Amino acid sequence: MSAAALVFSAVSKTYAYSHLGRTTYTRGIEDLDLSVALGEAFGLLGLNGSGKTTTFKLALGLLRPTSGKISVLGHEASDFRAYGGIGYLPELPYFYPFLTPAESLGFYGRLSGLEGAALEAGIGQALAETGLEAVAGRKIGQLSKGLTQRVGLAQAILHDPRLIILDEPVSGLDPLAIKHFRDGLARLKRRGKTLIVSSHSISEIEKLCDRVGILKDGRLVRVAAQDEWARAKDGLEGLFVETVQ
Amino acid sequence: MRNVWILARNSWQENVRGKFFALTVVFAVLVLYISVLLGALAADQEVRVLYDFGLSFIELMGLAGALYGATTVILREMEAKTIYLILTRPVSRGEFLFGRFLGLAMSAAASMATMAAFHLLLLFLKGWRWDSLYALALLGAYLKVLITAALAVALALFSSSVLTALSITLILWTLGHFLPELRYMIAWGPAQWQMAPLRALSFVIPDLQLLNYRDQLAAASAQRPPTWLAFSYAPLYAGIWLLIARSLLRKKEF
Repeated sequence: MSAAALVFSAVSKTYAYSHLGRTTYTRGIEDLDLSVALGEAFGLLGLNGSGKTTTFKLALGLLRPTSGKISVLGHEASDFRAYGGIGYLPELPYFYPFLTPAESLGFYGRLSGLEGAALEAGIGQALAETGLEAVAGRKIGQLSKGLTQRVGLAQAILHDPRLIILDEPVSGLDPLAIKHFRDGLARLKRRGKTLIVSSHSISEIEKLCDRVGILKDGRLVRVAAQDEWARAKDGLEGLFVETVQ
Repeated sequence: MRNVWILARNSWQENVRGKFFALTVVFAVLVLYISVLLGALAADQEVRVLYDFGLSFIELMGLAGALYGATTVILREMEAKTIYLILTRPVSRGEFLFGRFLGLAMSAAASMATMAAFHLLLLFLKGWRWDSLYALALLGAYLKVLITAALAVALALFSSSVLTALSITLILWTLGHFLPELRYMIAWGPAQWQMAPLRALSFVIPDLQLLNYRDQLAAASAQRPPTWLAFSYAPLYAGIWLLIARSLLRKKEF
């Protein structure tokens, strides 16, 4: 088996909310064991609240696990030095509205360790890859949702990361923008990037991913490879419905 | 240090492109105009009134801007989720905090310097002659603003509420001007154990009188602590609160 990009070992995350002296506990993820190999495209499926975003935030150190261990590109998930090799597109990415896409990419590129010619090249390539050249000088606050989402993808790939985590990348986009995104992700896959994608759009996951994991109420209830859903009567959708129902 | 500078520059850019400096100039012109009117009422003390009122105003405006910035800088990024795209890069939480604070300090410095330029122009027009004590008073006011802002950043992270952080900071800022009186009370008060909570509080409250050169210079006869003490105290006090803020930020989940 090839080296792992991301490993979850018996990971649980419980959220604790305190109000007026009473603490309530909500399960985010329970006993998650998962390994994604370098170069693999892995899809994470699940209903709302099943734990997809929690899984991503745990991998990125934005949340800490209640128990278990997480390793990202050979580092502990809490070690921020690992993040130079990761690109992350959150669901509905937010940017500073006073910056243009080119300036935003400059800012994030510098924080990712790029400078000088490498930074310029990274910005140019990310803008070209996401079709943003025409609006590179406009303030992000003036861009449509689809264009803002493209800025999100551009910032996730500009430092040429090995692992790219995308949380609902096509959420709320029009069909043309979805096509543009799909093509972009397919190019990244061909270049050997490790992709971990969550989406409510099963057809997108079906086209892109080598394997999928299905989360239900914070538990990983099924991991299936491409040939499994290729054999299934209703494809990945049938497999998903059968699993979560 | 590189990341701290990148983040500070980003904050500075936000303030320059936003309404921050435009508002600073508007307020500067408005209140300095009021100080001219007040000066005219005290015909024989016009320059003195203009001098004192202007410096107080510069400090208060600097404080208002810095307090707003300090209490919202991190919470706003958490709420707007812009923090996600920063903390998922090779940037430590300490770098993020210090970068944002440096940006705030740079903006406060620029804002106070702009107001001081207007103020000095007016003073010169009224026949005032340059006195280096003005620079000392202005620097003292700036350091007061900075240490209060550092306190506010930590309180905002502790309480996660802008209003709570703002209220507590303003209480401590007020008390900070009466710290010598508080210390006197502790020393001459009833039994020492009864004074223990006040004594503990006196270590938390910033000693703003130490940096209050404007008042100290007005009372020329008053005994002043050495300048080096005041200027060493400010980075030390601000540094301690920023380290506390860093430790609070490291525990936060997003």
